[in-house]
Amino acid sequence: MTLTLLRTPTRILSRPVAALAALAAAAGPVVAQPSPGEGLAVFSPVTWERLVDAANEPHNWLMYNGTLDSQRFSRLDQIDSANVGQLELKWAHHIPQLDRAETTPLVVDGVMFITESPSNVVAVDAVTGRPFWRYDHPLPDDLRLCCGRNNRGVAILGETLYMSTLDAHLVAIDGRSGSVVWNREVADYRSGYSKTEAPLIVKDQVVTGIAGGEYGIRGFLDSYDADTGERLWRTDTIPGPDHPDNRSWAGDSWRTGGAPTWITGSYDPELNLVYWGTGNPGPDWNGAVRRGDNLYSDSVLALNGDTGEMAWYFQFTPHDEHDWDAIQVPVLADIELDGETRKAMLWANRNGFYYTLDRETGEFLLGKPFAKQTWAEGLDGNGRPIRRPNTAPSQEGTLVSPMAGGATNWWSPAYSPRTNLLYVNAFDGEAIFFSRDEDYQEGDNFTGGGTETPLPIEHYHSAIRAIDPTTGDVRWEFPITPRSRAGVLATAGDLVFSASIDGYFYALDARTGAPLWHISLGGPVHAQPMTYAVNGQQYVTMTIGNTLYTFGLGD
Amino acid sequence: MGTRCGIRWTAVALLAALTSGAAPVVTVAQDTENPYISRLDVRAGRQLFQARCSTCHGLNAAGGNESTGPDLTTGRFRHADSDAGLFRVIRDGVRSTAMLGLGADADEQSIWQLVTYLRSVDVTAGGTPTGSAAAGRQLFTGTGGCDRCHMVNGQGQRLGPDLSTVGERRALAELETALVNPDAEVLPRWWTMKATGPDGQVVEGLRMDEDTFTFRIMDADQQLRAFSKYGGWTWERVQRSTMPGYADTFTAAERNDLVAYLFSLRSEP
Repeated sequence: MTLTLLRTPTRILSRPVAALAALAAAAGPVVAQPSPGEGLAVFSPVTWERLVDAANEPHNWLMYNGTLDSQRFSRLDQIDSANVGQLELKWAHHIPQLDRAETTPLVVDGVMFITESPSNVVAVDAVTGRPFWRYDHPLPDDLRLCCGRNNRGVAILGETLYMSTLDAHLVAIDGRSGSVVWNREVADYRSGYSKTEAPLIVKDQVVTGIAGGEYGIRGFLDSYDADTGERLWRTDTIPGPDHPDNRSWAGDSWRTGGAPTWITGSYDPELNLVYWGTGNPGPDWNGAVRRGDNLYSDSVLALNGDTGEMAWYFQFTPHDEHDWDAIQVPVLADIELDGETRKAMLWANRNGFYYTLDRETGEFLLGKPFAKQTWAEGLDGNGRPIRRPNTAPSQEGTLVSPMAGGATNWWSPAYSPRTNLLYVNAFDGEAIFFSRDEDYQEGDNFTGGGTETPLPIEHYHSAIRAIDPTTGDVRWEFPITPRSRAGVLATAGDLVFSASIDGYFYALDARTGAPLWHISLGGPVHAQPMTYAVNGQQYVTMTIGNTLYTFGLGD
Repeated sequence: MGTRCGIRWTAVALLAALTSGAAPVVTVAQDTENPYISRLDVRAGRQLFQARCSTCHGLNAAGGNESTGPDLTTGRFRHADSDAGLFRVIRDGVRSTAMLGLGADADEQSIWQLVTYLRSVDVTAGGTPTGSAAAGRQLFTGTGGCDRCHMVNGQGQRLGPDLSTVGERRALAELETALVNPDAEVLPRWWTMKATGPDGQVVEGLRMDEDTFTFRIMDADQQLRAFSKYGGWTWERVQRSTMPGYADTFTAAERNDLVAYLFSLRSEP
C-alpha cells in the first residue's frame, strides 16, 4: 500500500513531458513515441509496420535481433566513445531459477520483457527494473535437454508475446497481464524435441524453430497464426523420400537426422524471404551411418514468407561430423562489392569460415577462415569446403580445429552500417573427436561419440573480430582471456558491446577495437547485450551470471 | 540368479558356435585388448556404472554403504586379474553371488567402457611404491628442501602446489615424472607471468589468475599482486615450471622414497 502511494498523481502531472504524452494518448493511440516514464506507461500495440520499421524507433528493442535484418545495430548514440567511461549501474534484476541465462530482452515503450530459465517471462519497468507481472510456465520433470534449461527471448505482435518453452510448446501471453492467450504443442518433448529460441514475427505469423539435434529428431521450421495458434505451414529441414534431396541421406538415416532450427532467423520484406540456419546432422560424430551430404543440415534456408516454400538453400558444411551447427543469426546488409550494391547475407560460421552470400539467390560471393581451422584446404568457387583427409572423428580420436563448440556459435554477431564491419565472437580452439556406435532409441541422447579438449582452456585464443564483408579479412581483433560465450551489440555511438565468461561487460571502439570501458560483474555470460531508451536516456542491458544489469550515463 | 546367468552364457556360446562359422563374440572379447580407453569412455563407463552398478558398489565404486558390494577402487579384484577377466565378470556375473552381470546380449562397447571406468578409479594405479615413505618424508622436509615451496597439511610454503592429498590424484609414474621433468605438464596456475612496467621495472610471479583485463600473481616473497593489462604494463606468459628437475640432485633410491611419501599423502591415511 505504501509503495503505491509513493507514486502520486501530483508528481506525474508536474512533469511537462508526461502531461504532453497524456494529451496525445487521449487523442488516439500513441505509436512509436518514447515512453513518458513515471506513472504513465504507454505500451502501444506493436504492429507489423512497426516491426518492419523497427530501426526508426531505436528507443525500443522490438525483436530478438533488434531489427528484421538482424544487424543488432542501434541508432542510439547518446552513449559514445567519448562518454562511455562514465556508464553507471541503474538497476539489476535477479533471475530466481539458477541455470544458463541466455535472454535478449525486448523493450516496448518503457516496458521490458525478460525471459528466464527454465521457460519463464517477466515484464518490468525499463527505468527501474521492478516487475509488473511474471509468467512461470509449468514443465514436466523428464525434459530432454542437451545444453541446460534456458530460453533466449520472446517475440511481440500487437499486445501479445510469443515464447518457446522447453517442453516444445509455443505459448502466446498477454503483454499487459501475463495471462496465457493460447498454448500450442509444437512437438512431443518425449521424442527429444525442445524449444529455446525467440520466435520471429512475419506479418501475422509466428515463425519458430525447434531444438533436439542431439536426440535424433527430424528438424523443421513452423509458422503459426498469431491470433489463433493454428499452424499455417511446416517446412522440414530434412526432405522426405518424395524429394530428390532425400538421397543425400543413406538409407533411413534421414528419419533421425537432426538439422534443428534453434536460433532466430531474419526476414527481408522486399524479397518476402525468411532466412533461418539449421543445426548439425545426427548422430553428431558418427557420419558412417548417414553417408551423403545430409541436406539441409548445417545450412541457411531461404523460405517464402507466406508459404514456407524453399526458394534456395546454402549448405556450409556438407556431411558434418563435428557438430558445427549453422545456428548463427543471418545478418542481412547491402554492401558494395566490385562497384555494385549487393543484397548480401553475412555469416561467420561455427566451422571456422566467414561467408558473404547473395541473399536473393543464395549465390556464394566470397569466404575465408576467420578463426583457426584445420579441416579444410579452403572453399571452392561455390563455397563448398575442400576437405583435408583424416579429419573425421575416429575410434582412437582425431584432433581438429575448431572444437565442437565452434569458431563461433549461436552468439549473435553485430553489423554496423557506419563502419561496414561485422563483429563476431571468435574462438581458436581444438578438440579430439571420437566416433562411437550408438543405436537410436526414441527420446534418448543420439550423438555417436564425443569430444575432449586436450589442453586447459588457457592454451587457446579467443577474440572479438571485426570482419570486412567485402573481403572476409579481419580488420582488428580484441583478445579475450580465457574466452567468451556472449553476443555482440553495435551502436551509432560507434561502440561495440560484449562480455566474457569471466564476467566482464565491456565496450570497444567500433573502428579500432580499443577497449573503452569495462566492469567486472562476476558471473559467466551466455547472453547478448541490447540497448534502448526511455525519457531520452539511453540504457545498455546485459545478463551476467543470473542477474540482468542495466547501465546508463549519470544524470 | 547367478546360476541362471551361467546357464544363459553357455546357451549363447553354444548357439554362436552352432549357427555360424564366425568366432563367437565371447572369445573375441577375451582375447582382445580394451579398445575403448579414452577419457570419453571413462565418462560413458561412469554413467553406465552409476545406472547399473552403483546400487551395490556405491556411486563412486568405493563400495556400498548399505549393501555388500565390494570396493572396486583398490586395484585388486577377487574374480579377475586382467581387463578381459573384468569384461567376463561384468558380462556374465559371478556364480553363487549377488553379482549378476549385464548378460550375454549386452553390447561389447558398454562393457569395455565399464572396464575403463573401473581402471580409472583405481587409486593405486601403477602399482605399489618401492621406497620408504618415512625416509621420503625426512628428505621432503630436510635436505631435499621441498617444503621451501610446497605445503603439506599446513606446513611449508606457497610457491608450488599444496601436496596434502597428492597421493589421491597422481599415479606413481606421474609422481616420478613430476620429480625428474616438472615441465612435462604445467597447469596454467603454475605458469609465470612476467610483467614489465612503464618505467622498465620487471615483476615476476606465479600466475594465480588471468582474465581479459587483469591478472594476479604471487611473487617470490609470496606477496599477492594485481595488474591491469591496459594500465601501461606489458606482460608475458612463461609456460614452464619454476621447479627444477631432480634427476641429478637425488639418487634413484631417494626419488623412490619421495614418491612413496607423496603417494601416501591422502585425506584419510
